[in-house]
Amino acid sequence: MKEILVLCPHGVDGGLLSKAYALSEGNLRVLVLEGEEQTAEGYGAKYIHTIKTTPPDEAAFAGWLAEKIQSWGSTIVLAPATIAMRNIMPMLAWKLNAGLTADCTALDMAGEDLLQTRPAFGNSLMASIRSLSTIQMATVRPGTFRPVEQKANEPEIIPESGPAETGKVRELSFTEFAGGKPLSQADVIIAGGMGVGSKEGFEKLAKLASHLGAGLAASRSAVDAGYAPFRCQVGVTGVTVCPRLYIAVGISGAVQHLAGMSGSEKVIAINSDPKAPIFGYADYGYVGDWETIIDRLLHLEEETL
Amino acid sequence: MKAVPAASTVEVDGEYRLKREGTSLQWNIADESALEAALRLKDGDGIVTVLTMGPAKLEAALKELLARGADRAVLITDRRMAGADTRATAAALKAAAEKTGPFDLILCGRRAIDGETGQVPGELAAALDILCVSNVERLEKTETGMRLFRRTENGVQELEAAGPLVVSMCEYAYHLRLPGILSMRRAKSKTVEILTADDLELKTGECGLKGSLTKVITMEAKYPGLRKGPKETDLSKATEQIQAMLREVRP
Ligand SMILES: Cc1cc2nc3c(=O)[nH]c(=O)nc-3n(C[C@H](O)[C@H](O)[C@H](O)COP(=O)(O)OP(=O)(O)OC[C@H]3O[C@@H](n4cnc5c(N)ncnc54)[C@H](O)[C@@H]3O)c2cc1C
Repeated sequence: MKEILVLCPHGVDGGLLSKAYALSEGNLRVLVLEGEEQTAEGYGAKYIHTIKTTPPDEAAFAGWLAEKIQSWGSTIVLAPATIAMRNIMPMLAWKLNAGLTADCTALDMAGEDLLQTRPAFGNSLMASIRSLSTIQMATVRPGTFRPVEQKANEPEIIPESGPAETGKVRELSFTEFAGGKPLSQADVIIAGGMGVGSKEGFEKLAKLASHLGAGLAASRSAVDAGYAPFRCQVGVTGVTVCPRLYIAVGISGAVQHLAGMSGSEKVIAINSDPKAPIFGYADYGYVGDWETIIDRLLHLEEETL
Repeated sequence: MKAVPAASTVEVDGEYRLKREGTSLQWNIADESALEAALRLKDGDGIVTVLTMGPAKLEAALKELLARGADRAVLITDRRMAGADTRATAAALKAAAEKTGPFDLILCGRRAIDGETGQVPGELAAALDILCVSNVERLEKTETGMRLFRRTENGVQELEAAGPLVVSMCEYAYHLRLPGILSMRRAKSKTVEILTADDLELKTGECGLKGSLTKVITMEAKYPGLRKGPKETDLSKATEQIQAMLREVRP
């Protein structure tokens, strides 16, 4: 089977490594940060290249990667569709003269060809795509594939010098969002919509989310109404998430919102309107007032503390 | 700036290209943010050029952007460009940027609400061999370059960048201003510059479907998330079931 290269210089994506391991039948090469060799090994990587840091000049990083990839002879290159990799991969694709598919939600091999499936136009279309170039590249939506640990493959670990510092881009500061884990990494997400009705209502959702170690998300209307900050917005103009459990509270289920969450493993909808479209996209629907249910859940959580 | 279908559903043709003709179009939201950022950055003597690629009918929409304060408007339009993937699009934009530039800064939206690839800014930057900073929600000029606030998954990165660069802007970062009396008057005397593949010296093999390195082999209209699970109206049962599902996910 063809070797697959997975670029995870900002943190190992176990799900993606597992998928690449399966597709390449164990022919897996990875690039990770120093210190993550063992994690990569745990997903069956055969060649593990490490770098010490990722530079803020992503164009220079892409240039360095292009040279490395040519020397490794990789012809299938994958990366998680994180903010940074979605900037680096297009620059890399241009330099390698390669076709690139963004944000895939399924990957398959057809002989030597990588079949890339991705949703388009607010998830209303699913496109299946093939590369016409020698090097085939894709980014994959984080959380799409489940991590599967492998027996160690006795990997070769190869420390790399990494790209030279260009000084063209400097990081002056980094301000972390309050509230921990990014939505794209949360196992459970509680999302509120207009039905929640107020900022106070959202505080209840936030409280429950914090008890559960879940992420707090919102519809655009709720963000527009000032109930939640923009970074919580899920949908075509916000973030795309695929947690194990997505709880939509007082959200009607507009296509623009569905686009950002319909890939979730399990969806629960709480809505007082039995005809709300969100129920069509939920594994379990609860028809009724959100506050009654959330209050009870909060109560139960506080009891068990 | 990209014009995207205003409707929330779309049709595709036999070659799996989005049908843009006959549907009403609007500017992509993130691209409006990019234009407003440009208008705020320009000093008295700066020039803001808007560049788009699409059907000829976009000329009118571009005129409106002139009325909103852009100084120049350029439209790449050519049947041969239809069906371009992100690479062929970047190639066309690169040629147009070189033909109509030089520019100190190129601003784009971080992704379009129809294709949602977000790849064109990076490919364009690499084609021009300049830097690209993505997902920016605020930017300002400094003595030596630009200060950029970039939203990542877990926080906001403050960056300083020097030299010509491509910046991709987040949706709603800046709200595009309405047409002003003065710019409306100025826009009247302006025309939209039209560029074809020949003007850009692009060969047929470099344009549209033919110039693309990815090929859509099937396209299905479906909602992958359609589940239609059971509905429950008993709220005590609801609480119990949700608790059980939560326990499954985080034992
Ligand atoms: C170009 C464009 C981009 C967009 N991008 C996004 C995006 O990225 N993300 C996004 O979310 N939206 C987006 N939208 C907006 C989208 O179309 C919807 O308007 C929005 O998602 C609706 O939010 P909502 O479900 O919270 O509100 P509503 O549609 O108002 O729904 C509120 C729901 O709450 C229910 N409800 C009311 N009271 C209660 C109660 N007491 N208990 C339980 N339920 C109750 C109601 O039955 C209703 O279903 C976009 C729109 C456009 C045009």
